[in-house]
Amino acid sequence: MTDINATTTGSASLGVAGAAEHPAVTAQGAALSVRHLVKQYDNASAPVLNDISFDVPAGQVFVILGPSGSGKSTLLRTIAGLEPIQGGEITMGGELLRQAQSAGKLRSASASDSTKVGMVFQSYDLFPNKTVLGNIMLAPVLVQKRDKASVQAEALRLLERVGLADRKDAWPHELSGGQRQRVAICRALIEHPQVMLFDEVTAALDPEMVREVLDVILELANSGQTMLIVTHEMAFARAVADHVVLLANGSIVEESDHPQEFFDHPHTERAQQFLATFTYDRGQRQS
Amino acid sequence: MDFGFMMHYAPYFVNAAYMTVFISFFGLVLSLVLGLICVAVQMANVPVARQIVRAYVELSRNTPLLVQLYFLYFGLPKLGVSWSAETCAIVGLAFLGGSYMTEALRGGFEAVPRVQLESARVLGFSPVQTFLHVTVPQALSTAIPAVVANVIFLVKESSVVSAIALADVMYVTKDLMGQTYDTYESLTLLVITYLVILLPISIVGTVLERRFDYARR
Ligand SMILES: Nc1ncnc2c1ncn2[C@@H]1O[C@H](COP(=O)(O)OP(=O)(O)OP(=O)(O)O)[C@@H](O)[C@H]1O
Ligand SMILES: [Mg+2]
Repeated sequence: MTDINATTTGSASLGVAGAAEHPAVTAQGAALSVRHLVKQYDNASAPVLNDISFDVPAGQVFVILGPSGSGKSTLLRTIAGLEPIQGGEITMGGELLRQAQSAGKLRSASASDSTKVGMVFQSYDLFPNKTVLGNIMLAPVLVQKRDKASVQAEALRLLERVGLADRKDAWPHELSGGQRQRVAICRALIEHPQVMLFDEVTAALDPEMVREVLDVILELANSGQTMLIVTHEMAFARAVADHVVLLANGSIVEESDHPQEFFDHPHTERAQQFLATFTYDRGQRQS
Repeated sequence: MDFGFMMHYAPYFVNAAYMTVFISFFGLVLSLVLGLICVAVQMANVPVARQIVRAYVELSRNTPLLVQLYFLYFGLPKLGVSWSAETCAIVGLAFLGGSYMTEALRGGFEAVPRVQLESARVLGFSPVQTFLHVTVPQALSTAIPAVVANVIFLVKESSVVSAIALADVMYVTKDLMGQTYDTYESLTLLVITYLVILLPISIVGTVLERRFDYARR
């Protein structure tokens, strides 16, 4: 990880190659815009997400917080196109990305459409039948039909950035959880997604591996990559966020452009209650 | 043990082994093709075809190969379809093996984690690309041990074709025992022949299992 920290100050960074070839936004305005989003699972009596709206400006880091079951994963999955939505729409760079379908079916996306969003999941999801390099190179070659040699060069640059250049020929099962997640980040980045989604990517990791993954995400934030991050790591959220959203009961309960203020002095009772679950009071010991 | 006897009759067993391998090979190839088709139908949940596959699997697994062969060899001619003994043997093995391969492959396909398919989807893979590059390699790697076990089972099961007068290893053995009454030597030759056929399959199977064991963590 030393090379990550060493390059943080430099201007070259994880997302720059992509940003140069594929500008995150055409001009001004939001990279990602969610409007009146409604998501209800089949068989469920109430929607998980009820009329959610927000804009993510280009280059912003959006952190989504909320109690278990509040719909954080569902929100990311609708943006990624993994879940049909029942109301509202999602646009990216002004273009329609997802919208409600009467038949509950997903709109079939074109290849260029589908690579606008990159996602990293909580469970290690590298393809076990491909090496590290194979995992990273598969989509750009297969989906984006890019030149193999240049894809490989970029893959190696990305691996270098996350400190895994020497593991390029390793199989996923030979890597630690933290290493797998860093490779998964490279695999998503190489498609130059306009928005990156992270769903509790460190939740399944041993504590000493959390840092190496979060450092990569922090560096990515510094490079200007637009992203939505779901995390239970409050210290990290506080450090990385440009904007914080608290999700509960299907709605946005509180949001803030001033993360420090949100964490120190949340306005709503629900937010105070939520943040209190992460702190322990010595006073509890006596009572 | 009469080694002179065994050396003398060994060439018969070599020829018989060719027959066993010939029948088994084509029977197995067809079994795998049939199994893949059946699994594809089950995975894609094709309405009527799914029920047909289900019925076929039950019928095939719950009737003896001997009965299936008799039906093909003695029954079909009554319906005006006359196949050679070789064809009947291959079709019979494929009919039996198809259901075993279906079950073995289905286990592999069902074991592919959902998040693998979702990752592929977010990366922009088409359903066909996901199937070819993610689902099939992982499913096959999981299914290899079961498929290899079925291959060995079917080769052994092919001994039943001696009942429709095909000169396979079993047939030659019975013939030899009938003519010479040298039961012990004949059966020894039989065992050796099967070992010579099956041991390499077993070894290749183990190598394949190791080579494609992606799932180990
Ligand atoms: N496929 C599904 N079918 C039906 N209900 C679902 C499905 N997936 C999630 N849910 C329900 O939707 C709600 C929100 O789930 P979601 O996974 O989005 O929550 P979350 O905020 O990510 O929680 P966590 O912090 O535990 O990951 C939960 O009540 C959950 O039970
Ligand atoms: Mg979740």
